[in-house]
Amino acid sequence: MIQSLRINGEKHAFSDGETILDLAERAGIEIPTLCHAKDLLPEAGCRLCIVETSTQDRPVGACHTLCEGGIEIETDSDRIRKLRKQILNFYIETDEITGLVAGDTNGKFREILDEYEVPYTAQPLTTKEGVEDSHPYLRFHPDSCITCRLCLNTCEQVQGQFVYGIAKRGVETHLIYGSEDRFLTSPCVSCGACVDVCPTGALFDRDRAPDQAQTSDRETDSVCGYCGVGCRIRISSSDETVQQIDGISDAVVNHGHLCLKGRYAHAFHHSPERLTQPLLRRNGELEPVSWDEALDFIAERLQSLIAQHGPEMVGAFTSSRSTNESCYLLQKLFRAELGSNNVDCCARVCHSSTALALQLVTGTGAASASYEDIEKARGIVVAGANPTEAHPVVGARIKQAALHGVPLLVIDPRKIELTEYATLHLQLLPGTNVALFNGIAKVILETHAADSSYLEARTEGLDELDSFLRELELKEVESITGVSETDIRSAAAILSEIGPALFVHGLGLSELMQGTASVMTFCNIGMLTGSIGKPGAGMLPLRGQNNVQGSADMGSMPSHFTGYQPLADEDVRGRIESIWGKLPPTEPGLPSTLMLEAAARGEFRALWLMGEDVAQSDPNETEILKALGQLDLIIVQDLFLSETCQFADVVLPACSFLEQEGTFTNGERRVQHVRPAVEAPGDSRPDWQPVLEVANRLGANWHYDGPHQIMDEIARVAPGLFGGISYDRLEGDGLQWPCPAPSHPGTTTVHADGFIRGKGKLVTVDYEPSPEHGVEGFPYLLVTGRLLEHYNVGTMTRRTPNRTLVEQDLLEIHPSDLKHESLSDGDTVLASSRWGEIKVQVTASERVAPGTLFLSFHFPETHTNRLTGPTLDPLSKCPQYKATALKLSRIVEDSIPQTV
Amino acid sequence: MNESPSPKSKGFRETSKSAFQKTPLSAGDWIDPDTPNLTPEELESLSIDTGLPIASLRGAGSFYADNAWKNSSNSVVQVCDGTSCRLGGGSSIEAILHRYGHECQRVYCLGFCDRSPVSMIPNEQLREQSPTSIRNLAPEAIITRRILAGPVHEIKKAIEAGVYTGLVNALGFSPSHLIEEVEKSGERGRGGAGFPTGKKWRMAAESDSDQKYVIANGDEGDPGSFLDRVLMEQDPHTIIEGMTLCGYAIGASEGIIYIRSEYPQAVEVMHEAIADARREGYLGQDICGSGFNFDIRVFIGKGSYVCGEETALIASLEGLRGEVRLRPPYPVQVGLHGKPTVVNNVETLSNIPFIAKKGGEAYAFYGTHATSGTKAISLNHGFQNPGLVEVELGITFREVIEEIGGGGRDGEPLAAVLVGGPMGTILKPEDWDYPICFEVMDRHGIQLGHGGFVAIPESTDFHDLLIHLTEFMIRESCGKCVPCRLGSQAFLKAINENREIAELEEMLDAIEAGSLCAFGQFVPGPIRTLLADFQDRIFGPKNQNN
Repeated sequence: MIQSLRINGEKHAFSDGETILDLAERAGIEIPTLCHAKDLLPEAGCRLCIVETSTQDRPVGACHTLCEGGIEIETDSDRIRKLRKQILNFYIETDEITGLVAGDTNGKFREILDEYEVPYTAQPLTTKEGVEDSHPYLRFHPDSCITCRLCLNTCEQVQGQFVYGIAKRGVETHLIYGSEDRFLTSPCVSCGACVDVCPTGALFDRDRAPDQAQTSDRETDSVCGYCGVGCRIRISSSDETVQQIDGISDAVVNHGHLCLKGRYAHAFHHSPERLTQPLLRRNGELEPVSWDEALDFIAERLQSLIAQHGPEMVGAFTSSRSTNESCYLLQKLFRAELGSNNVDCCARVCHSSTALALQLVTGTGAASASYEDIEKARGIVVAGANPTEAHPVVGARIKQAALHGVPLLVIDPRKIELTEYATLHLQLLPGTNVALFNGIAKVILETHAADSSYLEARTEGLDELDSFLRELELKEVESITGVSETDIRSAAAILSEIGPALFVHGLGLSELMQGTASVMTFCNIGMLTGSIGKPGAGMLPLRGQNNVQGSADMGSMPSHFTGYQPLADEDVRGRIESIWGKLPPTEPGLPSTLMLEAAARGEFRALWLMGEDVAQSDPNETEILKALGQLDLIIVQDLFLSETCQFADVVLPACSFLEQEGTFTNGERRVQHVRPAVEAPGDSRPDWQPVLEVANRLGANWHYDGPHQIMDEIARVAPGLFGGISYDRLEGDGLQWPCPAPSHPGTTTVHADGFIRGKGKLVTVDYEPSPEHGVEGFPYLLVTGRLLEHYNVGTMTRRTPNRTLVEQDLLEIHPSDLKHESLSDGDTVLASSRWGEIKVQVTASERVAPGTLFLSFHFPETHTNRLTGPTLDPLSKCPQYKATALKLSRIVEDSIPQTV
Repeated sequence: MNESPSPKSKGFRETSKSAFQKTPLSAGDWIDPDTPNLTPEELESLSIDTGLPIASLRGAGSFYADNAWKNSSNSVVQVCDGTSCRLGGGSSIEAILHRYGHECQRVYCLGFCDRSPVSMIPNEQLREQSPTSIRNLAPEAIITRRILAGPVHEIKKAIEAGVYTGLVNALGFSPSHLIEEVEKSGERGRGGAGFPTGKKWRMAAESDSDQKYVIANGDEGDPGSFLDRVLMEQDPHTIIEGMTLCGYAIGASEGIIYIRSEYPQAVEVMHEAIADARREGYLGQDICGSGFNFDIRVFIGKGSYVCGEETALIASLEGLRGEVRLRPPYPVQVGLHGKPTVVNNVETLSNIPFIAKKGGEAYAFYGTHATSGTKAISLNHGFQNPGLVEVELGITFREVIEEIGGGGRDGEPLAAVLVGGPMGTILKPEDWDYPICFEVMDRHGIQLGHGGFVAIPESTDFHDLLIHLTEFMIRESCGKCVPCRLGSQAFLKAINENREIAELEEMLDAIEAGSLCAFGQFVPGPIRTLLADFQDRIFGPKNQNN
């Protein structure tokens, strides 16, 4: 039944549960508020939203009063305006606000005071006196605060961080935060959401940015270039510099929310260390040269090396930080013009196991679910991922779900932040996922909790799995994983209770010798619970880089063409030949890890490295450096002189996401439009242009008016996934592939009508210990990973004020191990694996279990990857970063911290 | 020192939003965020222990008035600044105590309005020098029956007086039958709002949950009322019996009695009575062999008037600031730790055993159609006959004031009577013929509150009374909404600046119409009456020219 009421005489229909304020906003009727924001529970404190109703003598708060059929509402009567003005006067009368800052960014409070003709004085904030400025980005000016609690509610209900509190009562009531009103020591994660909602400018940020003095003259809607969440951003900029970045409030991916990387970490863009012109190695030194000189050199060297050694001796790594168009073009150059399938990307060293496993068991190597399923989920499993640090906006959404009572099961060797909100945390030994997942699957089957009709209709392989699991002993699983039989049973019971659940995983599953097996056995649970292909459920791997999904989609994998099309399929070959004019061989090329292994053996000649800093990021650094040293030609495209550049023959200055046009595809298969906001420094060129230039120097006749034409070609090359994608359809939230036709709306839930593969495959695979498990004399297992404040090898974030938040990598060790090693917190130790050793400072942390260590890899001087070893997943060729046998020893000669 | 990578947050079990509440705290796990002086490290560990965010702990710690004396190194004396004591010259006590080197903390109120002014050393027993006078003038004593002849806090005496017979009786029939009887009784909550008790119970009974709570609201904050104190001190077993009956009716196994810290003797007696009842099998497992389990704990308030409001009381129990929450959802649906919770006033619960024993109709036999039963009224020392008196509802104010109360002390004429405390109503003699029943009181905007009557003699310093009521509003405002939080202070400033009455009234309009909860909505009422009817006595005749 449609119900309606009258507002200011006009009739309006409302829906159940809608507040008067919601309805008014929808109807375009303005009601002033100072404590209300979209998506927050009503605070009902400012009382400015009071309105008159025909049924009550007293005015009611519009923000918390539900619409009622047939009533009359007056939002702006003389009585109401008089009351509002009086309420506003109270702020001024009581000196609640003495520091109304002229020129604050929001100014909402001043606007309302003006509208109600309440006199006040405003002065520019000229001194830092009274301003809390311990933090590189956030500031608080208490004299400007009206204690509206929007910051507090946003912090709790969006970020889930609980930084703020309210002290005292009555007229003395005021905002407090952390333990001592300092952001730096508070639990603040610098997401900045509080600043966006502050109506007075009491909370503000960025005044330490060097570009503060300048003003922006344009706004550009684009996509964040950090992690694979793919938040939509609005960049305010002038020609040369980014002034500020805000989340786009109606973006489906982030609802206006950002993390401290996306919001604040943009100063790298104008870092004096940026590369501004091509460099060519002459007499051992990299020297500035013209673009023509650099491009001619590349074309000639590639041609001559291929002539001499054959196309199978050259290869390229596309960049998962760059655009789809750049990645597509680089793989096309190697395949079509150079005749080599040796194209790969960093997905090899992160989610290649995930992609392969999902491809094998479901038919497509990507997430079946979308981020919006987080809010729909009846239960969430997070395995081998630390979303609140590595994918903060998604992490915050998962945390909110848990805070609202959605069961959360966390499976991770570390007590990550989400464990504090979890129903159950299974703290397994690194690299033992397969055993644990099999154990859980066993209990689900044994207790008859599996979704048998789903299994019957949609899957195959149940009998084999069932008979294998019958033989499995939970006691054995317990001894392998360190997770008690009781907890395994509890986990299975929780999953059985939930039914279809959302399965979120990260590199803790894929970066292992049993990476593919981990993901496949994880998918087993997804199928046993009937989850894959249902809304609010399914597989949602969190992709690491902003465009790691896209770079693989584009064909940056040695075994497949663009859009995961088989190299040997005749139809595919025919279609691609008609577009490219030329074709590579049908045999797959080498994955990146094997290209580097071949190079180390002297069996590889040239690499084009678009943006990937293999010297810092790839495992077993000693071998990697050896491999790089053996190559005849290394072409690097990058923003900065990366660690890999010391081996480069030619270095091309690249563009960051702030400076070039293209598309990124996020972890939920969403293709979004990236637009340049500032000019690239110096002679840097968009990443696809040098590729095109080299191709044309090699005799191709490529012509693209811009990235949009490259996308049009991608749509023709891989019509099944991208046929309906073109730039004119990418306004706003973009499109989720598969999107096979111009009229297709894109796909939120894959496998909804049955698996793309036909039947989902239940996989029977047993646990195998990796070569890093049980190594004598190396009592610890090292896990490597990321911290919130930095991004991967830190190329960008280290060149921003994020560096003042975290300035070095620290080895996390459990306090009992610290004691056992007779070490103290903060000591520098010698950490050794069988592959290398480093000196590193330790920090006591209960996040790791005894016997497990954690180390980030953000700073090149740490050389984290000297420790990681050569073990690869035999199926995906993904390295095992997540479990390395380690020992620690005290540094005897001196205790001076290592500096480089 | 590098701060990272230590964990950036804690797994908070509760937040200031009830929607987020997860695991309830276990028994005996009260959070006492007595935190103003804690170091960051101590806060960190308290945060881990309690599952509450650091800033939330700090916020709650600074909210409650008691932390002032808890954290003072001086010898602090609580000086009652309730309306009765204020009128009775309480300010002079403060001056004397200061002279002897005591630090004074003004409190609202110590609950000895029949002998104002009073003061107390925190937490020390304020022993009655002479017992409070207790009279019954109703046709049948319901609330005072057991204590007319003296206290029955000892369980033996209580049983002799017939306590627990209602419980034994009710355990023999079904919970739904008990609710029906309470509904039939027509009893309405005695805390002020007058919500039908049976309806409240039914809503809680119908809320589906693994856990429910019964809370006895012993946070009798209205200055001028002392009935609940006397009931808790003298007849605790009847409250226990009422709570247990409520638990049986709604399906709860846990009860909490929330007693204000200003009533230390009530706390002590209640603790003892609960232990005795448990020992005798009236609390605990399998009560009286019925298979029903129920137990009660005591929570001591920390100095906040607003915590007498049920949602603020619940927030306080959760270790948070005692601020009101938006309703709906109502506590009977989403209450303590997110579970269905009945909050009943002490007097309300004390009527229940009668209903359980004699049936709802026996109770409804007394009183008026919409206001059944009897009511015990507190008369302050300004009356000739101070003390507690039980009357049948429907009696007129005049009968209570003039006949029962005997009019002003020593024959002094009364200018008015403040009923129901600072959120109540100032009644001038021309209003005294109204009967005490919701039918009439609602029509005339009379708030009975807890039924405290404070005599306002002709000789009253009305300016001081105005300041007193305004200060009360300032000091007890929880700080959540702006009209109450700031408006009260702005109003005091305006009084001190001798602003025009019209402007003062506009301020009161905004506070009254704008405030979120009943506190801000009703505290301006008596102030408005003072301004309207006693203007010349407040500001002197000069203001007449304005």
